[in-house]
Amino acid sequence: MPSGQPEPRHPADVLRDGTADQRWSAARALGAGTLGAGTLGASTLGASTVGAQRAGDTSGVGPAAVDAVEALANALRTEADPRVRQAIFTGLVRLGSPACVEAVIPCLRVDDPQLRGAALDALRAMIGVVRPMLPALLADPDADVRLLSCDLARELSTSDATRLLCDVLARDTEPNVCAAAVDVLAEIGDAEALPFLEACAGRFGDVTFLGFAVRIAMQRIVAERPAPHAGAV
Amino acid sequence: MSDALPVSPADCSRVCEFLYRRTGMVFTEDKRYYVERRVNERMRATGSASFNSYFALLRIDVAGEIEQFVNAFTVNETYFYRESHQLRCLTKDLLADRVKRTGPAKAIRIWSLPCSTGEEPYSIAIWLLQNWPSVDAFDIEIVGSDIDTRVLAAAREGVFGKRALMQLPADVIDKYFVPLDDEQWRLLDDIRGSVLFAPVNLIDAPATATFGRFDVIFCRNVLIYFDDASRRVAAENLYESLLPGGFLCLGHSESMSRISPLFEVRRYSDAIVYQRPEANP
Repeated sequence: MPSGQPEPRHPADVLRDGTADQRWSAARALGAGTLGAGTLGASTLGASTVGAQRAGDTSGVGPAAVDAVEALANALRTEADPRVRQAIFTGLVRLGSPACVEAVIPCLRVDDPQLRGAALDALRAMIGVVRPMLPALLADPDADVRLLSCDLARELSTSDATRLLCDVLARDTEPNVCAAAVDVLAEIGDAEALPFLEACAGRFGDVTFLGFAVRIAMQRIVAERPAPHAGAV
Repeated sequence: MSDALPVSPADCSRVCEFLYRRTGMVFTEDKRYYVERRVNERMRATGSASFNSYFALLRIDVAGEIEQFVNAFTVNETYFYRESHQLRCLTKDLLADRVKRTGPAKAIRIWSLPCSTGEEPYSIAIWLLQNWPSVDAFDIEIVGSDIDTRVLAAAREGVFGKRALMQLPADVIDKYFVPLDDEQWRLLDDIRGSVLFAPVNLIDAPATATFGRFDVIFCRNVLIYFDDASRRVAAENLYESLLPGGFLCLGHSESMSRISPLFEVRRYSDAIVYQRPEANP
């Protein structure tokens, strides 16, 4: 029955051609599918859908969420308003599927440092879903993407991060990428990284800053090694 | 004889770096004693024989140690006039700015969340009565919210113990509280009636939207407990709950700059606060 009221528009349509305020609201609405009924407490948040998605479990992503991801991903390609972009990133983080990660990754390749930073923050916030894609990111043809991806390893466990970053040290041809890996290893690496660090410093013997960074990282890791048991040889 | 376990300056800086990355909390060299004490507490609690063994289990979050560690660095209790420098900033700078923008005879809306048992919103009410000469010229609405309805019920009761009142000058206690016994005081009905208490979930956008928009929001010492995704949502909800040009006050150890670029940082003599831009960024 016609009511005389205009049909409410779908947020995906509004996100395409609305005003900045409308697009901001539409992006928030599209991303709100999972967290809205969450709770304030940190302990209960751990059990929220976001918590599950951070761990990589995206089995609960339904068709509506798939549509929302598509709308947000499309909007991210053209959206110029930083506030709306922020809401789009947050929406993708909340939906937290592999498609969301795929939508964010191209932003690591842009020249705009703010957009790159925002993309990195978004990926960091859904590291559980990013993790399976991290080896590919660390082997990306674009050195800037590899460099930024090293930073994502900070969110991983020590052993996982060490394994991934040692692989970078062993094969990456860019000293700046290796330096980014060294920087992260200095903070969270374990003893397994020591031979890789040493070999990397040797491989780039003429790159002074890298040698210095490797020395610091190795000192830190050695200082953190558990003391040998009494009587051990 | 001290039974403190050794924590070297280098250990301290490592643990501060870890804490910063996790929470945004910054502890500089002058807080080294504070940091050492808390690290020592956690080392003892976890039975760690050395800093290195403690740091190893912290990093891999054995038995939820990261949460315990962060808790050790936060003050969970609340009391009247806590972080009073922000209240000074409220009357000296923030309300002056809001009044300039909104003109006289308008409502001023202030939101305190999470408000726990009411110390913060009641502090705001008392502080305004004591320190803001224009208090009678405005229709001031103070709302206190928390997700925990039990604390809201206690807040409405308005009965407080000695510890909650420890920062209040004696004349302020005499003026606004009635002693119930040696240990408890009840806030005057007028003050209790000046604050509206209602539950809210900070990460629930439709729920926060029902409160309308505020001139100033106090949201202290809660975002540090959220993960990245929830923090982003909370930041957007807070942004949406502020009037354009409105102010957000976080806890002293919190920084919105690490959560969201939506706000502008405003540095006043008494506090650093965050402002929703007048025009959208």
